[in-house]
Amino acid sequence: MIAVECILLVSLLAVLYRLFRGPHPWDRLLAYNAASNRMFVLLALIAVIDGRHSYLDATIVYAALSFLGVIILARFMERGGGHR
Amino acid sequence: MIGDILIGLGLLFVVIGTIGIVRFRDVYSRLQASGVSDNAGLGLILIGLIVRHGLSSDDLRLGLLFFLLLLTNPIITHSIAKSAFVRKYGGRGDGRT
Repeated sequence: MIAVECILLVSLLAVLYRLFRGPHPWDRLLAYNAASNRMFVLLALIAVIDGRHSYLDATIVYAALSFLGVIILARFMERGGGHR
Repeated sequence: MIGDILIGLGLLFVVIGTIGIVRFRDVYSRLQASGVSDNAGLGLILIGLIVRHGLSSDDLRLGLLFFLLLLTNPIITHSIAKSAFVRKYGGRGDGRT
């Protein structure tokens, strides 16, 4: 199961490349959403495999808060925020 | 056994979606790659975790996480696409890779 965590981590780093390089603000927002999705699935994997059961509660809170943040940023850019 | 197969299938979807996010040309193509394959791949990994470790007290929380992922990811995809469309982002040819 260590291999599964390593593949997810490499995928997370590849998405972070798009987050830092993406030419438009929506690219960065999309990459941030994908990175946070991979992050909480990685946290759930660590929680179940290593038996740290308290990580799962933190994972649920993290998923809900990242959803809220991405929605708020998308509405902000829709109403004319950002640098364009 | 079945859980391992589900986790492997989910990893395949996640790797394909990552290649799509890194290599596609404009925002809408990347949204399509991210929205479809992340939803399938990460959901399959969570279901594989539920199946693999038998009946325990983690199942309810993992199921809640899967439900949250399945509920919020289409909303986020739609919201980003609507935001890019309202601000008149053009699509093909407008993206500089």
